[in-house]
Amino acid sequence: MIQSQTHLNVADNSGARELMCIRIIGTSNRRYAHIGDVIIAVIKEAVPNSPLERSEVIRAVIVRTSKELKRDNGMIIRYDDNAAVVIDQEGNPKGTRIFGAIARELRQLNFTKIVSLAPEVL
Amino acid sequence: MRLEKCWFCSSTVYPGHGIQFVRNDAKIFRFCRSKCHKNFKMKRNPRKVKWTKAYRRLHGKDMTQDTTFEFERKRNRPERYDRNLAENTLKAIKKIDKVRSDRAASHIEKRLKVRKGKERREAQKELEQSIHLVKAPQALREDQSLTLPKIKVQVSQPKSDQNQAMEE
Repeated sequence: MIQSQTHLNVADNSGARELMCIRIIGTSNRRYAHIGDVIIAVIKEAVPNSPLERSEVIRAVIVRTSKELKRDNGMIIRYDDNAAVVIDQEGNPKGTRIFGAIARELRQLNFTKIVSLAPEVL
Repeated sequence: MRLEKCWFCSSTVYPGHGIQFVRNDAKIFRFCRSKCHKNFKMKRNPRKVKWTKAYRRLHGKDMTQDTTFEFERKRNRPERYDRNLAENTLKAIKKIDKVRSDRAASHIEKRLKVRKGKERREAQKELEQSIHLVKAPQALREDQSLTLPKIKVQVSQPKSDQNQAMEE
């Protein structure tokens, strides 16, 4: 359940450390974003001397949520934190590495690059 | 269909039941119900919570070592289907289950026997040590000072006229 003003961790090495969601991409007046949704976010904290800077507006895709995710086979899965991966307009990740486990749902949503970089897909 | 074991209470998790928690280091914790999930969130140690399998095993409440446990194992290689094998397996499941439950019951019985014997010995000791407190009924009858004297008390029961009238 990611809405505007939600702070998210960054699960890649793009240079951002913390994001804040400001808009969910999709239909208008959408309240919450879940795993696999693209959001517009502001970088709240960045690694020094990195291409991304603080208060820069970027696109990101949510890869982990602490709100439970229900699958069609009845499985309910919950992660430790809310985390996103910084992407460009085409949906390719800006970083070269992904950290932590990510959800399998991203594969169906054509984020195959992120899925292939991830150390663990659950 | 894969049946998993609950991380907290070690019970079987059937598909569609419970919840999975994935830590950031990709370790999966499966829970059979919200009770176990909540206890995990409270950071309770299953070895210290009395109703879990881990506690019961650790404290010798349940049978831990038995050959019947060898049959139930996680197998990552799927077995090639064989009709006879499947039939025999289904027959064996019932038999093994019966053997296991019988052995578990006898284990508990054996465990409870220790306490029963201890209680019996304690009771015997108490009887030996404090038999002087018990007076024989004949002694009480002969010596009146040992019992409280009987006092007759008159109880007045007022009879109401109303009831009699009602009966008539």
